[in-house]
Amino acid sequence: MRRLLHIEQVKLLNYNPFRITLGIYFLAFSLGLIIYPAVDKEIPVISLSDLFRFPDVWLFLTWVTEPYNMLLALIIIMITTKEFNNHTFKTQIIFGLSRTELLLQKLLLVVVLSLFATLLLGATSLTLGLIYSYKLTFKIAMENTWILGRYLVSSFAYMSMGLLVALLIKNTALSLLTFLAMRVFVDPVLFLILRKQEVRWYLPMRATTQLTPVPDLIGIFERKMNSAESIDESALDILPEGLPAWLNILLVLLYTSLAIWLSYRLMQRRRFT
Amino acid sequence: MKEILSTQGLSKSYKNIIAIRNLDLQISEGEAYGILGPNGSGKTTTLSIVTGIIRQDNGFFKWFGKEPEASQRRSIGSLIETPHFYPYLNLEKNLRIICDIKGMPYGDIGRVLETAQLAERKRSRFSTLSLGMKQRLGIAAALLGDPRVLVLDEPTNGLDPEGIAEVREVVLQQVHQGKTLILASHILSEVEKICNHVAILKNGELLANGPVKELLAEDEIIEISCDNNEELGQKLKGSPLVKEVETENGVLVLTLNEKVTAAEVNTFAFANKLVVHHMLSRKRSLESQFLELVKEE
Repeated sequence: MRRLLHIEQVKLLNYNPFRITLGIYFLAFSLGLIIYPAVDKEIPVISLSDLFRFPDVWLFLTWVTEPYNMLLALIIIMITTKEFNNHTFKTQIIFGLSRTELLLQKLLLVVVLSLFATLLLGATSLTLGLIYSYKLTFKIAMENTWILGRYLVSSFAYMSMGLLVALLIKNTALSLLTFLAMRVFVDPVLFLILRKQEVRWYLPMRATTQLTPVPDLIGIFERKMNSAESIDESALDILPEGLPAWLNILLVLLYTSLAIWLSYRLMQRRRFT
Repeated sequence: MKEILSTQGLSKSYKNIIAIRNLDLQISEGEAYGILGPNGSGKTTTLSIVTGIIRQDNGFFKWFGKEPEASQRRSIGSLIETPHFYPYLNLEKNLRIICDIKGMPYGDIGRVLETAQLAERKRSRFSTLSLGMKQRLGIAAALLGDPRVLVLDEPTNGLDPEGIAEVREVVLQQVHQGKTLILASHILSEVEKICNHVAILKNGELLANGPVKELLAEDEIIEISCDNNEELGQKLKGSPLVKEVETENGVLVLTLNEKVTAAEVNTFAFANKLVVHHMLSRKRSLESQFLELVKEE
């Protein structure tokens, strides 16, 4: 295991596209710390900093940073297809790695990156929470941290799907395009077409985004204004929809296992010339 | 002798092209085994299967008498077709990755780069190397960890004449050290110079298989003519001097038995009262013999 990770580390830390994409990822995260509070000054009534208080900060930042997981998936696609383009899967096989180890190498990387992303989100949320919260009790601060677990599942799922697409298509540009199209086009369009059917919640990308749902923003602002009468949310047609949480998580885990199993099958059959 | 590699009924086809058909090979320890064949005869396919890059359709192979598995390949140094490394990594880092795969320390990297005459370029990115240098790095990688078996597919591909001579020298050294060598080549002289055993492939099938000395022996051939070629031919056929007598354009073409000289044939004719007025020594080149083998069927 450590051997495989070490090999992967040598490959990646010297690979410029990887460093750049990871840099963008970092930048996107730090923007959360710098830009949101700056924007805040220009909106008088509603304060964005309300969203950075415990325990809402966990839900809010998870929702905001969820799309960054796409960047991580793109990294996985890039480095996997590059192994095909450079024929380096072949080199690794002839010198003694098995096909299973080749897949394991990439899966270990998926695990490391999703842990890294979750830790980064946790650290960012904690920092913002500590800065903006009035009342600081351990109980309030730790409420809602369960969302980090979902975030971990979500980033792991995205990257596993990215890995499958890369092993299936092999070409870098085509794989990236296919994956992005799935997320921004195919899945949303299918979702619209199926808007009357329950099955729309079962689409792989939709199920994954549902893991980290939109936080109850109205509720947060209401609490701030201490208004007695609550806004009738059903009138606004934003009643929470979708699958029960446990089913949603189970579904995503199922999709992830399926993606890994298919990746394994592909890896066993591929010609690496 | 210990068995290194054996294949049985190995077959592989790509769509409707048969790459290799029912290939049986036995390679023992210490052998320098040449796989000789024209382009597209299935040499690379065979070596790709035994090194795990592609899967065979039928048949099986064994390394060291055991079912194939990835860990066996760590004691084999292979170069299949053109060498492929990470273009953005320097030579040293590329070789470190291979050391990591093989589970060995990095200490051997300097030695193999020296052998491949790439020591000064060890900090250069792989992508900056010339074709010949890449090929030499491929050989360096194969030598990493001093493996007991070398599998080389056209190792002198893309090298200049000097490079070819150097690589052959390196490979020969390995053979002299008692390493087992499996060498695929379409260049007959290469196999003849390096190997002691040869298998000849054509269209994915094994045409011939045996010691280089027997299979690629150089026969002495002479043309001879006298006033009565027919009588001379008859007499020679009954003698221990020749293997074969043929008539070509009015002259006799003789394939001599080993160690028989043209002078002996002349003496023989004279003793039989036949005066030879045309005699030409014509060594059959290996190249034409190889082409002959490959052309059969």
